[in-house]
Amino acid sequence: MTARIFGRVAGSIGALFGASVLAFVFLRLAPSDPARLIVGEFAPEEAVEAQRRALGLHENIVVQYYRYMRDFLTGDWGFSYSTGTPVSSAIEARLPATIELSLYAFVLAFAAALILALLATYRRRPVVDGALRTVSFIGLGTPPFWLGLLLLVTLSGTGLFPGPEGRLQPDVAAPPNVTSLYTVDAVLAGQWHTLGDALWHMTLPAITLGLVPFAFLVRLLRANLLEVAREPFITFARSKGLSRWTAFRRHALPNAILPTVTAGGLVFAHLLAGSVLVERVFAWPGVGSLVVGGILQQDFAVVQAFILLGAASYVAMNAVVDVLYSAIDPRTRGGQGLQG
Amino acid sequence: MNGGAPIQDPPALLQVERLTKSFPGRRNLLGRGSGIAPLRAVDDVSFEVAKGETFGIVGESGSGKSTIARCIVRLANADSGRILFDGTDLLTLPREELRRLRRRMQIVVQDPSSALDPRMSVRAIVEEPLVIHRVADPVERRSKVLDMLELVGLTRVQAERKPHEFSGGQRQRIALARALVLSPDLVILDEPISALDVSVQAQVLNLLRQLQTELQLTYIFIVHDLAVAEYFCDRTAVVYRGAVMEMAESKQLFRERLHPYTEALLAAAPIPDPAARRERRIILREEAATIRTAEGCRFRPQCFVGRDRDLCAALEPTLEQSVPGHFVACHFAGLLEDER
Amino acid sequence: MSAGEQVLSVSGLRTVFAARGGAVTAVRDVDLDVSPGEKVGIVGESGSGKSALALSILGLIEPPGRVVGGSVRLNGQELVGLGDRELGNVRGRDIGIVFQDPLTSLNPVKKIGTQLYEAIRRHHPRLRKHEVRRRALELLHDVEISSPERRLDDFPHHYSGGMRQRVLIAIALANRPAVLIADEPTTALDTTTQAHVLWLLDRLVTEHGTAVILITHNLGVVAEFCDSVHVMYAGRFVESASTPALFANQIHPYTEALLGSILRPDRLEEGPLAAIPGAPPDLADLPPGCPFEPRCAFGNGREICQTVRPEPVTLTGILHGSSEVECHFAEERAARGELAAERT
Repeated sequence: MTARIFGRVAGSIGALFGASVLAFVFLRLAPSDPARLIVGEFAPEEAVEAQRRALGLHENIVVQYYRYMRDFLTGDWGFSYSTGTPVSSAIEARLPATIELSLYAFVLAFAAALILALLATYRRRPVVDGALRTVSFIGLGTPPFWLGLLLLVTLSGTGLFPGPEGRLQPDVAAPPNVTSLYTVDAVLAGQWHTLGDALWHMTLPAITLGLVPFAFLVRLLRANLLEVAREPFITFARSKGLSRWTAFRRHALPNAILPTVTAGGLVFAHLLAGSVLVERVFAWPGVGSLVVGGILQQDFAVVQAFILLGAASYVAMNAVVDVLYSAIDPRTRGGQGLQG
Repeated sequence: MNGGAPIQDPPALLQVERLTKSFPGRRNLLGRGSGIAPLRAVDDVSFEVAKGETFGIVGESGSGKSTIARCIVRLANADSGRILFDGTDLLTLPREELRRLRRRMQIVVQDPSSALDPRMSVRAIVEEPLVIHRVADPVERRSKVLDMLELVGLTRVQAERKPHEFSGGQRQRIALARALVLSPDLVILDEPISALDVSVQAQVLNLLRQLQTELQLTYIFIVHDLAVAEYFCDRTAVVYRGAVMEMAESKQLFRERLHPYTEALLAAAPIPDPAARRERRIILREEAATIRTAEGCRFRPQCFVGRDRDLCAALEPTLEQSVPGHFVACHFAGLLEDER
Repeated sequence: MSAGEQVLSVSGLRTVFAARGGAVTAVRDVDLDVSPGEKVGIVGESGSGKSALALSILGLIEPPGRVVGGSVRLNGQELVGLGDRELGNVRGRDIGIVFQDPLTSLNPVKKIGTQLYEAIRRHHPRLRKHEVRRRALELLHDVEISSPERRLDDFPHHYSGGMRQRVLIAIALANRPAVLIADEPTTALDTTTQAHVLWLLDRLVTEHGTAVILITHNLGVVAEFCDSVHVMYAGRFVESASTPALFANQIHPYTEALLGSILRPDRLEEGPLAAIPGAPPDLADLPPGCPFEPRCAFGNGREICQTVRPEPVTLTGILHGSSEVECHFAEERAARGELAAERT
């Protein structure tokens, strides 16, 4: 057990190191010159050179990497000239919007996946099942930004949903800040109109962002449910006198949902990656659109910080999933009882 | 053997000497008996198997009988001891030579499905070992495979089918064909009939006998049913929690079983004759078997002879020869015989 | 015995599974009567329909399978045609079942205690928590689980195979049902564990007066446990008799062959075993005559066996008491057996 944990930690550190090196090298290989970008197109060469020195760009790349990582780990993630603030505060300001959107996307995806998988498997209706598999297939193959544009054109074009205007309508003020999640803050402040508006704005981006995780989860849940429903312990539970539904609810559902926890890392990665383009499409003021802006304006400090943070949170997420799964599945909790 | 003895025993094909194999102890989560000592799956086991002989190893699940088999074919690494195959110690043999020797030793397991790739045709499954060991050219291989399938009772038409199209008994025939196609000298049969219907068990046993005669095979036959071992094997060893309790020619073992455990095994087997229904039964209770004895006889907690005897509690009996060829590890080996 | 005395009375039960190659009739018009406290054995190879029969009696056949005809009366109440809720009131209270594989019969992520409580509570919803617990402890104690207080919170994988099977028995007997169906309860177990489980089962059902239907492929288990036996082949009972009669004289050639293929632990046998050639027939494509004819040492090749499906024949005699056999040569074979018995 100790060896396993050690192995995992070592692996995680390795992965993080790899991600940081790749991000660093690729961005340094980009043809543009950050110093030139900062001082401006028409600044004299001396000014550029001075800026380069100030940024440490005259050092060799290993030293640059070392310095960057040292600063990064002490909380100095560099300066974002496109927003005119340190990267850390730029990200901090944008993070709640992304978290809120991802949260709703996830809840939506999971709830829809669970309900549909249940409908398809509980009575084993071939029609529902076939439809489900088709939806899941299409969902996995649909680029989120394309779906986002499609939804915008069809639904917000007709006025049913708002256009790409962010988290709230321009004339609605943000609720008093407690958690920075607008829906939560609105409820806390009792501003029901604001809550409605926030949810209304959230719907299309959340659907767009949740599509891939939904398609993925629905497949997983369907397969798990079908497998568990065939287990003799379901029949045995019914032989105790439990109704079909009760046996299914008590014994099939928990067993089928349990393994989806292991997919948590993957779902998280989808949400993270998806947010970049989806936020752009819906003008959602989150980290994703910050990063897109950073790429377009060659604000590398932002991009680099995002890559590193993304990698770190992905690794952390997987570790959490691992611990969580062994905590909730009694079979992995060890103890050999009377066997053998 | 005394010098100049006119008759020599047939040379042993396999000699297992003082074989020991432990599995690391595991912490018991329930706090019961925390810090369980490493489990000695195989504890100082020695036996010989002569060429052409069928040697039976009888024991319950967890007795270590399968671990012995796995050590012999090096699927598990023994801690100590020697395994001489045709005079060569397998435990110290370099990889490459071991690979060559392994052609001459094959193992057939209880559940053939796990050994048969569901996507391959039966013919390909049986041919695979020949390909791996680069035996013969494709044409010759093909005829070898078909001959072997015929020998185990499968037709040419069946050879093109997939494993799932066969019944349990037929799958066991396929597994046998796969094991025998390399013309091994020694075949280890690990519970080859336990998963089969009684009627099919007889078919497979008959087939095994016939193949042994035709191909001059040596068998190690692992089984939990003493009656089967006594019928099928020339000599039988009864193992209990990793150690040999009794070992003798099968007929001798049937007539004069000396160890209480052997007696209990036989008493447990149901007799297909209501007239022979026994009133007083020796019941071995599993839970008693899990009491780990630090010293004394390992069978004592379950033993109906020695449970309350001081000698059995104090001293672990060693495997002693009672009459030539009959070994028993029991302080009161004579007692049962006197009662009969 | 009049019908009123039967605790379970099955008649003309027919179960069909829809399959790609057409319908497979797993249970073909089976009649089965069980008296209170009786221990009935059903013997057959895998694929003979014995498990489908068990599930049909409980109304637990799942699509693509379906009970298409017949009647199952438990304590006089008709079960065929009842809805899931009404059946649920009967299952676990009046009739219980134990399956072959004790590992997969228990939910791996729920505690043993939870799975026991569930069986008790379903039929005693008003019991208080500590009463349910006390009852569960009693049940575990009955099946010889040592220190049950500590084992209630264990998960199934902490239990050994034999212990799990005993827990299944405890659950099935939780509400003292009148009938227990045990479907291959010891097949997955070691011989020693099997002996313990059977001995325990015997003790409990005798104590409670529970009738048992023991389904097995092992005639040895039947000889040790059952009062009467039905031999099942291709969805039908081909021979039904009391246990002593069946073992004294097997009238159906299949029964004889089945018994001949077993190794007796009390004898040292030599030479090849009398195996039954071939495999059980494809239930989707039964031959027009006797389903056993292709494998039958007695009737193979005979015209009547190949063309006419045998009807059940009731036989009475010194040896076999009263038995029912589906074989064209039942009378002839019975007479021969009687003669042989008289001579000895």
